[in-house]
Amino acid sequence: MKKKINFFIDNVPVSGEVGQSIWQIAKQNGKTLPHLCYSDKPGYRADGNCRACMVSIEGERVLAASCIRQPSEGMKVLTEDARSKKSREMVLELLVTDQPAQKKSHDPNSHFWQMAKKVDIFKSRFDKKAQNNVPSSDVSHKAMSVNLDACIHCNLCVRACREVQVNDVIGMGMRGNTSKVIFDFDDPMGDSTCVSCGECVQACPTGALMESNLLDEKGIHKGSHDREVDSLCPYCGVGCQLTFKIKDEKIVAATGRNGPANNNRLCVKGRFGFDYIHDQGRLTKPLIRKEGVKKDPLEKLDPFNPLTHFREATWEEALDLAANSFKKIKYSKPDYGRLAGFGCAKGSNEEAYLFQKLIRTGFKNNNVDHCTRMCHASSVAALMEAIGTGAVTATVSEVKNSDVAIVIGARPTQNHPVAATFLKNEIKNRGLKLILMDPREQDLSRIAEKHLKFKPGTDVALLNGILNVIIEEGLVDRQYIEKHTEGYLELKKHIKDFTPEEMSNVCGISAEEIRETARIFAKAKAAMIFWGMGISQHIHGTDNSRCLISLALTTGNCGRPGTGLHPLRGQNNVQGASDVGLIPMVFPDYQPISNPENVKFFENYWNTNLDPKPGLTVVEIMEEIYNKKINGLYIMGENPAMSDPNANHAREALSRLDMLVVQDIFLTETAYLADIVLPASAFPEKTGSFTNTDRRVQLARKAVNAPGEAKQDWWIIQEIAKRMGLKWNYSGPDEIYDELRNCMDSIKNISWERLVNEGAVTYPCDSEDTPGNEVLYGEGFPTVNKKARLVPAKITPPDEMPDKNYPLVLTTGRLLEHWHTGSMTRRSKVLQHIEPEAYVHISRNDMKKNNFSQNELVRLSTRRGNINVKVRFDKMIPDGMVFLPFCFENAPANLLTNQALDPDGKIPELKYCAAKIDKVSI
Amino acid sequence: MLDKVKKKFVPYPKGREIDEDSITLVRKLISHLPLKRDLLIEYLHLIQDKFNCIKKTNLAALSDIMKIPFSEAYEVATFYAHFDVIDDDKIGPPNITIRVCDSLTCELNGSEEILNSLKKKYDKNKVRVLRAPCMGLCDHAPACEVGHKHIKKCTLSSIETAVNKKSIHASIVEGISFEDYKKNGGYQLLRKCYKGNVSVDEIIEELQKSGLKGMGGAGFPAGQKWKFVRMEKSPRLMTINGDEGEPGTFKDKFYLEKDLHRFFEGMLIAAWAVDAKDIYIYMRDEYPGILKKMIRELKIIENNIIQEGVKVHIRRGAGAYICGEESAMIESIEGKRGLPRHKPPFVSKVGLFGKPTLNHNIETVFWVRDILEKGAGWFSSQGKPGHKGPHSYSVSGRVKKPGVKLAPAGITINELINDYCGGMLDGHKFYGYLPGGASGGILPSTMGDIPLDFGTLEEHGCFIGSGAIVVFSDKDDITKVVLNLLKFFEDESCGQCTPCRVGTEKAVKLLEKKNWDKNLLNELVAMMGDASICGLGQAAGNPIKCAIKYFASDLK
Repeated sequence: MKKKINFFIDNVPVSGEVGQSIWQIAKQNGKTLPHLCYSDKPGYRADGNCRACMVSIEGERVLAASCIRQPSEGMKVLTEDARSKKSREMVLELLVTDQPAQKKSHDPNSHFWQMAKKVDIFKSRFDKKAQNNVPSSDVSHKAMSVNLDACIHCNLCVRACREVQVNDVIGMGMRGNTSKVIFDFDDPMGDSTCVSCGECVQACPTGALMESNLLDEKGIHKGSHDREVDSLCPYCGVGCQLTFKIKDEKIVAATGRNGPANNNRLCVKGRFGFDYIHDQGRLTKPLIRKEGVKKDPLEKLDPFNPLTHFREATWEEALDLAANSFKKIKYSKPDYGRLAGFGCAKGSNEEAYLFQKLIRTGFKNNNVDHCTRMCHASSVAALMEAIGTGAVTATVSEVKNSDVAIVIGARPTQNHPVAATFLKNEIKNRGLKLILMDPREQDLSRIAEKHLKFKPGTDVALLNGILNVIIEEGLVDRQYIEKHTEGYLELKKHIKDFTPEEMSNVCGISAEEIRETARIFAKAKAAMIFWGMGISQHIHGTDNSRCLISLALTTGNCGRPGTGLHPLRGQNNVQGASDVGLIPMVFPDYQPISNPENVKFFENYWNTNLDPKPGLTVVEIMEEIYNKKINGLYIMGENPAMSDPNANHAREALSRLDMLVVQDIFLTETAYLADIVLPASAFPEKTGSFTNTDRRVQLARKAVNAPGEAKQDWWIIQEIAKRMGLKWNYSGPDEIYDELRNCMDSIKNISWERLVNEGAVTYPCDSEDTPGNEVLYGEGFPTVNKKARLVPAKITPPDEMPDKNYPLVLTTGRLLEHWHTGSMTRRSKVLQHIEPEAYVHISRNDMKKNNFSQNELVRLSTRRGNINVKVRFDKMIPDGMVFLPFCFENAPANLLTNQALDPDGKIPELKYCAAKIDKVSI
Repeated sequence: MLDKVKKKFVPYPKGREIDEDSITLVRKLISHLPLKRDLLIEYLHLIQDKFNCIKKTNLAALSDIMKIPFSEAYEVATFYAHFDVIDDDKIGPPNITIRVCDSLTCELNGSEEILNSLKKKYDKNKVRVLRAPCMGLCDHAPACEVGHKHIKKCTLSSIETAVNKKSIHASIVEGISFEDYKKNGGYQLLRKCYKGNVSVDEIIEELQKSGLKGMGGAGFPAGQKWKFVRMEKSPRLMTINGDEGEPGTFKDKFYLEKDLHRFFEGMLIAAWAVDAKDIYIYMRDEYPGILKKMIRELKIIENNIIQEGVKVHIRRGAGAYICGEESAMIESIEGKRGLPRHKPPFVSKVGLFGKPTLNHNIETVFWVRDILEKGAGWFSSQGKPGHKGPHSYSVSGRVKKPGVKLAPAGITINELINDYCGGMLDGHKFYGYLPGGASGGILPSTMGDIPLDFGTLEEHGCFIGSGAIVVFSDKDDITKVVLNLLKFFEDESCGQCTPCRVGTEKAVKLLEKKNWDKNLLNELVAMMGDASICGLGQAAGNPIKCAIKYFASDLK
């Protein structure tokens, strides 16, 4: 237990813990002192600059700021004496002087005005400061307005930007009464390095920094919202909790909530990317392809006007047609193998569960998969093989107990921005050593202990080189290896040849760097490994992951605080969708279909007979469709026409289907080729449970109604199921959740009520009333003998190496502002404004070599296709490499990518192919 | 409307692009220094010295080289008055900048007129004319700086001569040389210390007996300080506060010009006593001649006098009065903005780079050798009855012979004027005085018999501080005096806390009015004194308070 400090506040004995401030203890005792620069929120340290919380301390010459001062034993603090009261009032009076009048202020309900009310100061006896000393308003940013006429220099935005989110953009320039909140070099916010996380807006107590859409043209507040709904962010796997603010039945703002994965933080997508749901292009009526309109895989439709190719239909008609068509195809072959379904990692657990249940019990096969195949299939394959489970062994926040972290094949500041903030916090505050491995430079490079910019596609060489040093120099954790692993001797034998010198030739990192890195990692008291698509999307993705697993296990970095393996999950519910069985070879909770016991269990549980053969994966299904072996496909929410490698091939395949039912909120590139389009509801329009990258099950709540006739996804699935002869009658997500929970040991202790009450629960939980386990497998792994298997990895070169004709390496990925294929984010005004169009990113030297100018239109080609796209110099790109985001429909990266598969994970090599880039003659 | 806003930079990665040529240039410019975060201000000086300004392209390059965020570089560069950060498309200031001191003594001696005339006289594209705070030449007021060249008792013509001759480099006042200092027993004591011929405890006891106090203004017993710092965990550091910025103070300058090595020796003994292996001397940029001399003389003693393993680092201030506050100075040495820290913890516990730090004023250590050689009694007996030691008073204003007066502690202003300064200037009648620079308050001539020492003036709402005494006469306007001082504080407030940042600005506004709102001023001053973070804000209201209290009849 922490030591207590006993002292007096206004002559009343009180006590607090060591480290607590007088302000905090006073609050605990029912006295909330005025505060402006102090934010009573996690991650914000007290700065003590506004002086609105002054108190008297007996025996001290001057007053003390209660927010920053910690009491000592026996101290006598007065908060209600005339002197400290007067000081607090006068601080407010000084600040009120230069504020815009409350009625005409940017935020009349701001924290500042609440504090003014608290001390009852609304007027000032002082003269305003000279008008030429008041910075004019800055509206250069699409989403945020900077009105420093309301700034009180409390420094909260600076702390928000530099200490909480560690984006390091905001500072306090100049000095004295000319001091000013600045972005970079006092640049307009919109021109600065700002990544638009909006933390400053959330922190600002005066409205000097505000969401622009809440202000009118004069910068005056438009009036407050009608209601608020606590929900989640719909984008990445971090799983940020947020509150939607709703006005006139539209979402007008999102603010971070104090969830375990985000501590009130959000990124640009979570904060400003909610308006896609109000886009004009939302599907509001079921659509049926017009008689005789051919499916042209190359044709682009106008998403705002689907009636060129489709006609509107009633739900009754559309559902009947869909179900009847599926039935016809189903019975056309005795093994029912002609149907398949793609579920969705953006839907809830309940939707994913229902979807796979429909395929397995209605379609009567196991051809159900989703985009996890494109993401972490190889990581999961390696993890399942090694430790018997595919989920992370420790949460992101566990890095608070690490002293070293490896981030490889991931760019978390772009793709998991809020998770990245926790890493950055530990680097800045506690000196966590970050070892970054990425051929490209990234935002974290600046603060990384080491950034190994290895040659693309040589991950195994680099990692084996590091393993070689760890094993040869005896830096392994023998006890751990003995107790918790098997296969070490084989690994040791295998790794002997992978000397740093040899590997240096392959991966381009010097032997010395490899050695140093190995030593830093192996000597850490506790280390974590984070990885992303840069590891998994290779034909050697499984081997890449095997190396990482071996690194952690040989050094005993698993199962203790601050240790663990963390494949960063992409989609908000890719963990949950996989958990509940949206995978062709396993039932819910990863029960292999290959085990007849499991088939029996689910036949019993679902009261039906099941196909005992594992189904096909996404890429295999597409191949079967291309070969006309599969003729009917039900897609819920996915967009393979954009996200699959060699997308031309995928589009051609889709066009060959007899029945393609697409259930989505927009007319996506995939829906262009549909027979039936079913209008579904967007994330904020429904309630459901979602499981984040940390294994946290969290509850999202419906904020607004879906437009027009758009329906809840679970309802649509159920209606198709009914029409296929299944006797389903679920009343809502809670009932579906109950069913899935009862067939999944992992979450059996997390009831719906518990989710409603707690908002987030990490699985597994030992009982219904204990918190979940953040760090797993301290006592052994979920394998037969409780030991992990160390599997050696071999070096496989990428499938398609650069050559004379295609001399460059093309890699693909996301941008901070755009999610996945862009179908949501490209419809968000703010996100679209910041990154409006596609660019191929190349190095300065390659730019010069090709005589390109910035913004010039160029042709990027691979053996699979070519696109015309603008070129942009990117200092983070090494020579010989180009990067293309895959979110722009006008420059679809996946027309170019290679569909070669990893043999174990069946994941395509999206991160590497040979390409060339030419001038476009006009 | 928003969509029309044009982006300045091609947005990837976000923000301004870093120019390769600027990187090469800046890298070369700083190549003789190690690459360390705390050297930021030194690097900024190198850029400013080279180009007379800091273009943003070079600042961006420096940020990139140092791997620090743009905002961090910018806020430091714009905090200090001696850096001119300008846009790349703007033309930098001309080669010659004239800085005219507008602090009280110089203003009493007509600096305002000179400033205005210079501004009219020179084309601002050829010669830049700026006002500047005290440059420690109050005994030669009015003063100005042409480039780095100090001009004493400046006139339009003497300034013109300097400008025309392009005489813009600082000159060194030689004083006692290393050879002469050594010849007269210099560094013998230090050697004894290094050799272990004297014990730290003995030395501390002697210092304590002598009554030597911190001469920077706080008056904390020096020996006691050494004891406290020694109690903290090593490694310990030492800092020397050479940021003598209190208007009217020039004693440190005086000692450094006269006998630099005596200061060095005292400093080295103190560092030895607390086992500080790294000593940081923070010298104000307004004393460029001293800085030059210090660097030169340090080289001489680095190899044969200073013990191996001990390193003296000289850091150059950049024009910020606030850095005279010890924790702000420490921040500045760390290469940051000079924002005073909250206390507790005190710098003796958590100081430079978070380490326990012994911080001393220059004069304090200057006396160490003499005290230890001549005995505590020699020092302590030099005070007036009830007071210990000699005290260095920087006297300026309306007296015949201004200058640094080494007089018994506890002397009165009347004695100082008459016995040390040759009386008042002809035609001037003693009317009032600042006993402790800008922040130490103001007293009328009727209170001219108060002993001037630590602890004696507090009951009158004043303090001695660094002993900067400015004498004014019946010809001077008290309201102007007060306004001058408050404008100084307004300029020099770091801006961190509300009472000082806004308080000084509002105070100036109130003082500029014909009729002072005395009640409001008193309220404001009381709050600033109670609620400001550091001494600057706490004391900034002292002149107002004293004027209202002691000079009521002069106020309308």
